[in-house]
Amino acid sequence: MGLAIPSIVWYVLFFIVPIGYIVAYSFGRKDSSLLLPVDMSNLSLDSYREVFDETFFTVFKATIKIAIYATLLCLLIGFPVAYFLAFKVKDRWRGILLALVIVPSFTSFLIRTLAWRIPLAPEGTLSDWLQDWGLRDSPIGLLETRGAVQLALVYNYLGFMILPMFVALDRIQAGLREASKDLGADRISTFTGVTLPLAGPGTAAGVLLTFIPMCGDYVTATVLGGAKGNMIGAMIASQFSAAQNWPRGSAMAVLMILAVLLVLAAAALVLFGAKLLLRLVRPAIDNVRRAKNQRWMAEARMYIQKPPVQATTSHTGDKIAMSVWSVIVLAFLFIPIMLVVLHSFNGGGSFSIWSGRLTTEWWFGKGSPGGGLDSPVGLFFGDSVFTNAIRFAAIVLAGWGLPRVLRVFRVPVSATVTRWAGSIAFVVAFVVVGLNTEWYASFFRQLGIGDALRNSFLAAFGATIIAVVIGGLAGVALARRPGWWAKVFLAVVFLILVTPEIMDAIALAGWMQKLGGPFTTDVGPVGFGLIRLWVGQSLYSSAVVTLIVRARLAGLDESLEEAAADLGAPPRRAFRQITLPLISSALVAGALLSFTLCLDNTIISALISGADSTFPVALLGATRSTIKPFWGVGAVVLFMVTLASLWFVFQVLKRSGDSSSQIAATLAGG
Amino acid sequence: MNEPNQELRMLAPDGFRKAISRRAIFQTGTAAAGLAILAACGNEKKSTDNTVGGDCDPLSPPAIADGTPSSGFSNVVNQSSGTLSMYTWGDYNDPELIGALAEADLGVSMKVDYYPSNEDLITKLSAANGNSGFDIVVPTGPYIPQMVQKGLLEKFDLTKLPNIVNVDPAYLGRDWDPCNEYSVCKDWGSTGWIYNAAEVGREINNWSDFIDVCQNEASGNCSVLDTSANVTGMYFFANGINWNTEETADLDACEAFLVDEFASHIKAFDSYPSTKLAEGAYIVSMAWNGDARQAFVRIADAGGNPDDWKWGLGAPATELWMDNYCIATGAPNSDAAHAWINWLLTPEISIRDLNYHGYNSGMQNISDLLAEFIPDLERGDMIFFGDEQVATMQTQEVNTSQDRLVDILNKVKAKAGG
Repeated sequence: MGLAIPSIVWYVLFFIVPIGYIVAYSFGRKDSSLLLPVDMSNLSLDSYREVFDETFFTVFKATIKIAIYATLLCLLIGFPVAYFLAFKVKDRWRGILLALVIVPSFTSFLIRTLAWRIPLAPEGTLSDWLQDWGLRDSPIGLLETRGAVQLALVYNYLGFMILPMFVALDRIQAGLREASKDLGADRISTFTGVTLPLAGPGTAAGVLLTFIPMCGDYVTATVLGGAKGNMIGAMIASQFSAAQNWPRGSAMAVLMILAVLLVLAAAALVLFGAKLLLRLVRPAIDNVRRAKNQRWMAEARMYIQKPPVQATTSHTGDKIAMSVWSVIVLAFLFIPIMLVVLHSFNGGGSFSIWSGRLTTEWWFGKGSPGGGLDSPVGLFFGDSVFTNAIRFAAIVLAGWGLPRVLRVFRVPVSATVTRWAGSIAFVVAFVVVGLNTEWYASFFRQLGIGDALRNSFLAAFGATIIAVVIGGLAGVALARRPGWWAKVFLAVVFLILVTPEIMDAIALAGWMQKLGGPFTTDVGPVGFGLIRLWVGQSLYSSAVVTLIVRARLAGLDESLEEAAADLGAPPRRAFRQITLPLISSALVAGALLSFTLCLDNTIISALISGADSTFPVALLGATRSTIKPFWGVGAVVLFMVTLASLWFVFQVLKRSGDSSSQIAATLAGG
Repeated sequence: MNEPNQELRMLAPDGFRKAISRRAIFQTGTAAAGLAILAACGNEKKSTDNTVGGDCDPLSPPAIADGTPSSGFSNVVNQSSGTLSMYTWGDYNDPELIGALAEADLGVSMKVDYYPSNEDLITKLSAANGNSGFDIVVPTGPYIPQMVQKGLLEKFDLTKLPNIVNVDPAYLGRDWDPCNEYSVCKDWGSTGWIYNAAEVGREINNWSDFIDVCQNEASGNCSVLDTSANVTGMYFFANGINWNTEETADLDACEAFLVDEFASHIKAFDSYPSTKLAEGAYIVSMAWNGDARQAFVRIADAGGNPDDWKWGLGAPATELWMDNYCIATGAPNSDAAHAWINWLLTPEISIRDLNYHGYNSGMQNISDLLAEFIPDLERGDMIFFGDEQVATMQTQEVNTSQDRLVDILNKVKAKAGG
């Protein structure tokens, strides 16, 4: 337990006590003349009464409804993909496909959400295109509605549903499914009797990882929702800032947690009931099925001379259907990110509106002949973002493919030319298409964006160090010295992982103001804003590191450490020379994961940061008015950093002998 | 509807009645576009019940010399150094003035963060016990006394702001800070609407029309500003009720109407609809004049037709707000903050900024300055208002109804999302 003490102190100080204050504030009264606008002299239930007022309660109901729909949609869309990845894909493809699921999930949440403004804009290119092609009569009307929030929620959390389900399915030993088949079960019985029950825990994890954060989501509703897509998370945040009504915000937060727990309890109850029902009905079903099988066997015996009917054709059909579905889902995951990259080359004054203003006019300018989208000519020569993308891809493909085609026709082309043709075509495409690179050129001169990125890195770096130190120690303690405390501690870690971020955010904001000291005054050269971010971001990431380290050590027996102790090594030395090397890969993976999570942290950072705001916080501020195109460039830079650190995680884990499946398990939170 | 003119003359705050009577003194009104600026209410108007202020000497306007109009102004530029951080409203300064040019002219490198409402600003500053790390903040006038009382603002060192004399006396010495100890006018503007005339199919001439269009032709396709004062103001202005009313009956009626009859028609609460209008998200928006002016540019950018869209200033009455540069308590770089604010008060820089954000920056003789620096200013009628228009504008007071107004907005939001 000794090793876990730093973690315990940290979580008590920055999680349990602040949340306790939120509960206390919910019984206070608003007093906006105070610096911390809560009057605690008269405790009352007034705030709860207000929240139960019909108007507020409708938003509660709407939020829970939207989150339940989104969770179910994630489940339905994600399960076939997870199943496909686990059972139907060759090992060498699995790693790549998994990476394709993971990368979007770890790309900046805010940017991914913002990206949906591009295809959903009623006056945007996609909308125009669909109308020109006769696929729609009217512009796309989703933007600023609950539909947009629903769509983006599914999009934002799909990866977090697929990963744990994949991990659970992947852990099912192939033998079990085969045994089921050998014992005469058909495919459906194997699926319902073996696969589905064993996938249960992973599915439950997926549901927790999506449903709970959805309920507290504040970014999606703010960026896309308009008035109709209002959600509790946004309403709570506005109670703390715009309305300065902390008691009511606290009451809402407390009620939100209760509502979430209630829904989860109801879901568990339904599942339990279904299981019970299944157990009652099962014998009857089995009898029917057995009878059917016997009849089939009898028929088979009659036709024993003829070759049995090949049942695998339908298998291939399933496989094709599943792979098509998976490709569609992957495309769905990547399209918004690709649009962000494309729009970072936008001319004009705003990020989301494609101005069609290019640096060259080689391919007809705006309004020139062939500019329409209703003909193949227009498709290639037009000035919309999509035609630019097509043009770009066509040039690159042509450049890359030409030498290879020539070779087919036995025209001698040197290997050097072939090797470089693609890259050269890429540069040519850039120049010819005339994508606007001015934002890249002027990126670091843009206002504050360099500062924001620097702050993001500094904050993520410090928070990661804290997370690795306290999380690593706690992980070792949990794996090696589990005791009565371990259950409680794990429960707290679990709570930290599932508490809606908005709740942590408001709790910390108030608590840090109350604490003062290094949270309101600079410590030497270190700004207090940075200290706040270190503490705030370290909570979630240290919980992740704890679980990863624990999982790694739990897989190794303790004999090496015992041997060291038997040979007379003092505990400190044994830890340094034996345990530390054993967990080093887990620590590195945890560190990089935590770094990625911290870089992306928006909600906590937005509510606690001072003048040193990070990239997502600054971007969130900018979304309130016009988002300039250079934010797209920042998004691309951040995307690259995330990509690089994920790649490192892969390499580190791979070197330590993990398969791609185990890596996915690590990323899904141990 | 009540007879608006009669009602208004009674409702206009003291300042404006004086403004109207003293109009002739400061009026320039010579520009070809027929631009006119708000006349002075002067700095003799002092309030005694404020926590800020006291006796102070009126600032003397600069002597106008021969040559270009701007040469007669105070053009002091003080060098400074280090990093300067500003917390302000979205997209509210020419990017060059908070970027490369500030670096070149003043030696100051800047970073800027944005807040969506005065309350958010106050919460953020309070969260650090008034030591937020921001140097410059830009609150709206009526919120300044509250911020001073909470210890969130620092006094100016007026010797470091010699260019303050360039500001039209009409915008100095306002109620909230009679001696400009804490604040100086950044710019002022008003509220109205912008709408797609082709889609709406009729004219919007006053707030009653606006409300009616939102409830009918543009139901589910309109946005309102995301501030309590503006959402409730729309109702008060339309019904000839004093915007700053503290009468419970008025507030109750306002809440009943907005929550029960209006909320369900709102598509979004959006303080900066310009980009979203271009995306096609709304066909009618309540907007501040500068943002509405930018909408025309964005609509053209998106390939839309700006001629389909119309701007209208709120009528029969509407608001006049003034945002102010202030220095936050514990500003890490107060010297640079003074230098930058002072720089923004030089005519050339001020007009340059005006051209970007589209709000009247309150310089003296502003029409001459415009003729000198940006003779081809587009849509100037959305930046400068005629005397009759200014006469209909009311300034917000932060009074006992403040909490209630915030509450009403909250309920409207909850209802709109239901």
